[in-house]
Amino acid sequence: MSARLRKILLWAAALVALFLVPHVVEDRYFMHIVVMAGIFTILTLSWNLLAGYTGQLNLGHAAFYGIGAYTSAILAMQTGLSPWLGLFAGGLVAAFFGLLLGFPALRLSGPYLAITTIGFAEILRLVAMNWVDLTRGSLGLSGVPLLTPIKIGDFTMQFYFERDYYYVVVAAVLFTLFCIRRLIGSEFGVTLQAMRDDEAGAQSIGINPSSYKLAVFTISAFFAGFAGGLFAHFARLVSPELLALHNTFDVLTMTMIGGLGTIAGPILGAVTLTFLSEALRYMEEVIKIDIRLIVYGLLLILTILFMREGLVGVIKNSWARMKGGR
Amino acid sequence: MGAILTTERLTKNFGGLTAVNDVSFSLEQGEILGLIGPNGAGKTTLINLISGAFPPSKGAILFEGRDITRDKAHTINTLGIARTFQVVRIFSRLTALENVLAAMVDRGRKGPWSLVWDSFFRRACALTEDKEACATADGLLEFVGISRYRDEQAGNMPYALTKRLEIARALATQPKLLLLDEPSSGLNPAELTGQIDLIQKINAQGTSILIIEHVMKVIMGISHRLIVLHYGEKIAEGEPEKVYNDPLVVEAYLGGDSDAQH
Amino acid sequence: MVPVMDSLFLQQVLNGLITGSVYSLIAIGLTMIFGVMKISNFAQGDYSMVGAYTAVFVMAWVGGWLGWVGSVLAAAAVVGLLGVVTERLVFRPLMTRWTDIDMIMVSIGLFILLENLAQLFFGATPRMIDDPFGGRTINLGVASTSLLRLFCFVFAGVAIACLELFLNRSRMGVAIRATSQNRFAAQLMGIDINQVYRLTFGVGALLAGVGGVLYGTLFAIYPMMGALPTLKAFAVTILGGMGNIRGAIWGGLILGVAEALGGNYIAMEYKQAIGFFIIILVLLVKPSGLFGRKEGA
Repeated sequence: MSARLRKILLWAAALVALFLVPHVVEDRYFMHIVVMAGIFTILTLSWNLLAGYTGQLNLGHAAFYGIGAYTSAILAMQTGLSPWLGLFAGGLVAAFFGLLLGFPALRLSGPYLAITTIGFAEILRLVAMNWVDLTRGSLGLSGVPLLTPIKIGDFTMQFYFERDYYYVVVAAVLFTLFCIRRLIGSEFGVTLQAMRDDEAGAQSIGINPSSYKLAVFTISAFFAGFAGGLFAHFARLVSPELLALHNTFDVLTMTMIGGLGTIAGPILGAVTLTFLSEALRYMEEVIKIDIRLIVYGLLLILTILFMREGLVGVIKNSWARMKGGR
Repeated sequence: MGAILTTERLTKNFGGLTAVNDVSFSLEQGEILGLIGPNGAGKTTLINLISGAFPPSKGAILFEGRDITRDKAHTINTLGIARTFQVVRIFSRLTALENVLAAMVDRGRKGPWSLVWDSFFRRACALTEDKEACATADGLLEFVGISRYRDEQAGNMPYALTKRLEIARALATQPKLLLLDEPSSGLNPAELTGQIDLIQKINAQGTSILIIEHVMKVIMGISHRLIVLHYGEKIAEGEPEKVYNDPLVVEAYLGGDSDAQH
Repeated sequence: MVPVMDSLFLQQVLNGLITGSVYSLIAIGLTMIFGVMKISNFAQGDYSMVGAYTAVFVMAWVGGWLGWVGSVLAAAAVVGLLGVVTERLVFRPLMTRWTDIDMIMVSIGLFILLENLAQLFFGATPRMIDDPFGGRTINLGVASTSLLRLFCFVFAGVAIACLELFLNRSRMGVAIRATSQNRFAAQLMGIDINQVYRLTFGVGALLAGVGGVLYGTLFAIYPMMGALPTLKAFAVTILGGMGNIRGAIWGGLILGVAEALGGNYIAMEYKQAIGFFIIILVLLVKPSGLFGRKEGA
């Protein structure tokens, strides 16, 4: 009971702290970074569902992100659909494409899957570039509507500033976290991990890997699309850049550095790297060189070589050592 | 008692090589049937055919009167056939408990989307907090004697015990027929005795067993009947003592040995 | 409708073959490394980028004919060395405990690192390699091309022929082929496996480096250029079957011609995606590639 109580108190404290952040920090630029960290957290959590828990290396994740962003933006701009619904519509359209990409994944693995997923995203990026009537090509869609105000009784919540979006993103991250934790802890999650560890072994206990791969591609894509929608209404600009390979590489790097195949890892990685890259951008003004991506590449290599379990592993080990030392 | 499993003229070709050639046999309900033969005789191939790892080139497999010749591995498991592997195929990054829990899902009835639904709307917050499921899984770990490793990552368990974990995992699917591919390989003499006991305990609960084994002590001690494969063909069948002294079998093993020296 | 065999068509085929020969060269390096070490190296295109920049600097220093030949030699040396160094530092430590995913991701790390280092040192401005032939063109009767492009084609062919000679005639070449076919048997025969790895990676990178000089001769040179040759090389390699050198030669030519024709007759905008369309189609029909012998790992 006391363990449970402690858990509840911890969560409550975390929620209060999250609620207070914008009241303590007034800096708009800082809040902007926090919002982006939140959006990337949803991306890393969803990518990790595929790569970390199912062993499917999807290098086309940015496509789902872009699809979600375009869907939500276009629906809001052309049909006047409420952006709130657009977020979910973006997720659903992305999920449909996730299902599509799941089919080749049934037969492919390793480099074959990696290159197919890259190809999938590149083709869609070119479509976004060239379907000018719908997407305005490489210019992108600017002036995407903001999230519409929410009215509860007398209280109206407007969405103008970064701090308003902060609350939306925190809620979205918590929603994603809740869903993914539930999925991973359940029979579904254990099934995915069984497939990852040994596909033939999994089949021998009645698991049909194909149907699970399709399901997990669909789910993972849904959350990436959802993140894309958030970005669209926050940044108010959607361009083919969103589907580019380097976005997937960012997500991959964040997840690896945080800790692949864990729940905390993707969150830690996304937040750490988003802030690190801002710090490096700051440094750029001093030393006059942009070393942000050099650091990314180097960190990614070093993580895989020397700390395979990422920051989460490092923290876990030092925690265990501290406990053991006492 | 009728036959639970029947193969009819089963044949498997790999390119030009015939790994299993025209093998017909029956496995009676409740029986332990031993499958022996020199290396490369096609024993594992036969188990792979029955468990649906790949389809046969010719012939048919009947399980409880139903034709399962073309069924996939996962379907065959849901029908009631479970197996272990010559080289263990456990889920190395899951705990022993989770290995068993993964196998307990009623996969004949529940597909991925219904499990997704379940993860939000049923059961405890996490599978490992589901008392009922864990009790069953713990029972199985206890049954095969590895309770001590309940929360250990399977990849960190001693090899001999992962073989037992694999058996527990197979049993968790509630099979009517269990296919064991060399359950004693890599075990020391003390562990062997435990393994024999375990297999007999499983059989005593009514599970039929098809077992491949090289260790004669094990196979002679527990099999009700033996089948001998040689170059993919069935060359003998019957009671262990009789088969063991069959001149054809003796020759096959000697011939197999001299083959190996080439 | 099938395009008629007019001069435009033949012209596109010729252009495609020239570009394709460069793809082949870069892809052979990739496929060799995969065949021997089962590593899918996403940094392969960055080896080409480094090769191209090496050429830029050598050309600026020497220039002309001599400079171009010197460029190729210098690129071979620099990138070969880079290959050996990255193999030792980045890939070798993973060889004993790798998974497909680890290897791919570490090479992605290398890819990000190399292209951004290049950005830092060389700047973002695109460069070009001077034409030692002074822009002269040659008419082959049915189609015409610049002397430089034709020379690239011939040169790629010569480089591939040299590689074939090396693999078939030299002791180390045979060791590489043996390891590619069966690692354990090769070890049993007393082949020093680490030496084979080092050499394979060196040669594989070297080919990408030399290919990079040719690529840089045909297209612009900039720090982020590596992504395209990497993706093209993968497309070619999958088309030809991973680990299959002959397959990579044909795959490169096929991709080059398909891009040229597709870009001209179907849609220019989607030219860069044609390779992906082809490989997705090929993989759906035959997961081991067009010329693949067995299912890939």
